[in-house]
Amino acid sequence: MKLRNSPRPFIPLFALICRLTLAIIFFYAGVEKIIHPQEFAVAIHNYQLLPDCVINLLAIFLPWLEVLIAASLVSGIYGRGAALLSSLLFVIFATALTINLVRGLDISCGCFGASSENISWLYLARDLSLFCMSVFVLIYDRGWRYFFA
Amino acid sequence: MTFNNILSKLYPTFREGSIILAVALFIAVVFNLIRPAGINIFGFSSAALIREQQAIIPEISLWEAYSLYLKNKGIFIDARDPLSFEDGHINGAINIYPDEASFHASSLKVKADQGFIFITYCDGPQCPLSKETAHELILRGIPTVKILVNGWGIWLKAGYPISKGKK
Repeated sequence: MKLRNSPRPFIPLFALICRLTLAIIFFYAGVEKIIHPQEFAVAIHNYQLLPDCVINLLAIFLPWLEVLIAASLVSGIYGRGAALLSSLLFVIFATALTINLVRGLDISCGCFGASSENISWLYLARDLSLFCMSVFVLIYDRGWRYFFA
Repeated sequence: MTFNNILSKLYPTFREGSIILAVALFIAVVFNLIRPAGINIFGFSSAALIREQQAIIPEISLWEAYSLYLKNKGIFIDARDPLSFEDGHINGAINIYPDEASFHASSLKVKADQGFIFITYCDGPQCPLSKETAHELILRGIPTVKILVNGWGIWLKAGYPISKGKK
C-alpha cells in the first residue's frame, strides 16, 4: 500500500477507513435481519410510517440491499453507487427516527434486527455520523486501485 | 462547470446504485421464495399482528402438563434465567428467556408442525416470564403454546422428574 504524492495524502486513506467501517456495519445489520425477517417486519410496522402491503417486501429487500452495499464497499466494485445508496439510506433512517422520536413512540430501533434497543436521540446522532461518513466516501474514495496500482 | 457536466459526472454513480438496487431486489425475492422460513411478500397484516399481541394465552393444569410429559407430546420451556435453569428444571425442558425466543423459533416451528405442545413455565404465581416467552413464541408463528402457572414450584412439589445442569 502506498500514499501518493498529493497535497492531502491522508484523505483517500481516511475515506478507505470510512468505507470499510460502513461495510462492516451494513454487513452485520443486513445479516441479522436476513435471519429474522418476521421480526424486522414487525419493527418496520412499529414505525407506523408505511402501509401494510409494502412492509414484508421491505423487510426482505432492505437486508439484502445492506449486504450488497457492504460487499460493494469492501470490493470497491460499484463503490460510488454503494456510497450513494448508503447516504440515501441513512437520510431515510434518520428521517424515520426523527418522526418517531418527535411523536414520542417508544419502539425498537430495528437497526440491527431483533437485537436492537429502543430508539433514542443517540441513535439519530449515530445515523447522521454514518451519513457524513457515506458522503465522505462518495466524494473522496478512490478505490483499491489508488493504493495498489 | 455546467449542469450537464455535473449530470454526466453523476450518471455512472446513479447507474451503479440502480444496478445494486435491482440485484438486491432479485436476490431478496428469490431467497425468500426458496428459504423454508420465507414470508409472504405482500402479506403483512397489522390487524392480525394486533390480534396476536392481544391474544390470551391458554393455561394448562399440572395434571394435563404431566400427562403430556408422559406421552412425550409436550415440550417444556423454562422461561427463567440460565442460572435458575442450571440449578434445576423440569426434565427435558429447554431454557428460553423471553429475549431469546427468536433464536429458537425456527427449530420450535418444526416441532409444532409435528404436533408438539409447548408449555412455558417459570417460578411463582406472579412470575411474568412464562407469559412473555409464550407471547414471543406466538408472535413468531408457533400457535400451540400454553402456560403452566407457577410451573416450577408445583412441579417440584408434586415430585415429578427434574434435571440439573445446562441440559
